[in-house]
Amino acid sequence: MAKHETPLLDQLESGPWPSFVSDLKRQAEKKPECWDILGILELSYKDRITHWKHGGIVGVFGYGGGIVGRYADVPKLFPGVEHFHTIRVAQPSSKYYSTANLRQLMDLWEKHGSGMTNFHGSTGDIILLGTRTENLEPFFWDLTHDMGQDLGGSGSNLRTPANCVGQSRCEWSCYDTEEVCYHLTMHYQDEIHRPAFPYKFKFKFSGCPNDCVAAIARSDVSVIGTWRDNIRIDQAAVKEYVAGNYPPNGGAHSGRDWGKFDLQKEVIDLCPTECMWMEGDELKIDDKECTRCMHCINVMPRALRPGADQGASVCVGAKAPILDGAQFSTLIVPFMKVSKDNEFEELIEFIEGIWDWWMEVGKNRERVGETMQRVGLPTFLQVMGIDPIPQHVKEPRSNPYVFWKEEEVEGGFERDIVEFRAKHAA
Amino acid sequence: MALSTEELKKAIEEKALKSPKPQLYIKDFYACDPDSKPRVIKNIANEMVREGKLMFWSSGSTTMYAVPSRIKNEESSEGIGNE
Repeated sequence: MAKHETPLLDQLESGPWPSFVSDLKRQAEKKPECWDILGILELSYKDRITHWKHGGIVGVFGYGGGIVGRYADVPKLFPGVEHFHTIRVAQPSSKYYSTANLRQLMDLWEKHGSGMTNFHGSTGDIILLGTRTENLEPFFWDLTHDMGQDLGGSGSNLRTPANCVGQSRCEWSCYDTEEVCYHLTMHYQDEIHRPAFPYKFKFKFSGCPNDCVAAIARSDVSVIGTWRDNIRIDQAAVKEYVAGNYPPNGGAHSGRDWGKFDLQKEVIDLCPTECMWMEGDELKIDDKECTRCMHCINVMPRALRPGADQGASVCVGAKAPILDGAQFSTLIVPFMKVSKDNEFEELIEFIEGIWDWWMEVGKNRERVGETMQRVGLPTFLQVMGIDPIPQHVKEPRSNPYVFWKEEEVEGGFERDIVEFRAKHAA
Repeated sequence: MALSTEELKKAIEEKALKSPKPQLYIKDFYACDPDSKPRVIKNIANEMVREGKLMFWSSGSTTMYAVPSRIKNEESSEGIGNE
């Protein structure tokens, strides 16, 4: 039986899509606080302003992240949502769940919270919506002790790292994304659970340039698998595709008749750098021109494979559009070996180089991509000790002046400003 | 020369007590000792949280630090529904 009149929300149920309002009403039969969620939302629609207070004192002892405080500013009207905190739970690598784990997690959330969830938040965590402050510690105890799971990141912390399925299921993965994600999660426990930075910081790991976790758009450090030798070609399989014996795209678009596969039209003509051609019945690729768009490999997976000398490109600075609009990460290191043999030493050194600099020069609530934009890429490269390469150049220069530094000029130069000013007034 | 751990803890506590706003960003503590690396200051501030001298305060998107006695208890705050 509905506790509040919700005519505005009820209208949302009339559309053709599944409605969160219907879901909440169903859940409210078991968890009465969900009636108050509907009530407070209806009031917000009516008043055209939120009735949530943002933030406050929440957390579990010793953790500065993982729980996002939500308090209603109308607690007398809606006591069920006086406290309605959000808990972020770290997702397993690649989001592999067992049904037993999911059942246990849902039972735990029915016991300590509203039962409402969001699988998953945009960073990748499991989001559990709605609990009271006094339930936080018991929930945390059960989560960590009975289930062996942990809270994720929130606030100005390292956020829960995320990765694609990697080598567990994907033949294109150029490094073990699950291994590196797990290793760095364990290595940076302090940074995940306690605030460390001017603002949030995210890593994401994609095994190949298809970038299935959208690392390049969503993470401050995007580690994207690549190769530095040649795409491996099986010419016999190319012939099978041309003959129509193998379905293109692994049969992914087989629900409709697209006509006979046309290698020229569907692969060669679509290559963004025009680095492919046929010589007789052999497919040729000028690999030094390849930009790793993955289109040819995606269309003909049985004929083409990433090269054998594999590693990752590391890009820095993606963010969502709070200030200055959304931006992709910028390529900083074109190729890095990502290997467990040295415990990902090179990647860790790179990440900590960024942190040491950003923690010092980054402004409060400024993402590392914004700091890079503010100081300019040349300064960032200099700080990181990386020599500029053509791939770093975004556009031809628009500033006609070149300001050389002494160390950049052969033989250097000496300039005594006091002596200069003795003859030339400022 | 960088301050010792104890000197730094004292400087951080003083800063947190005297700042106009009760909640401070981690970066606000860097000025307590310009000779110490930011990550050292971060580790000491987190140690002070474990000791109970500081606490975390979450704005929802950013986690900040505060002296517990300066933070209003949100749970006892008066909402408009209490009128």
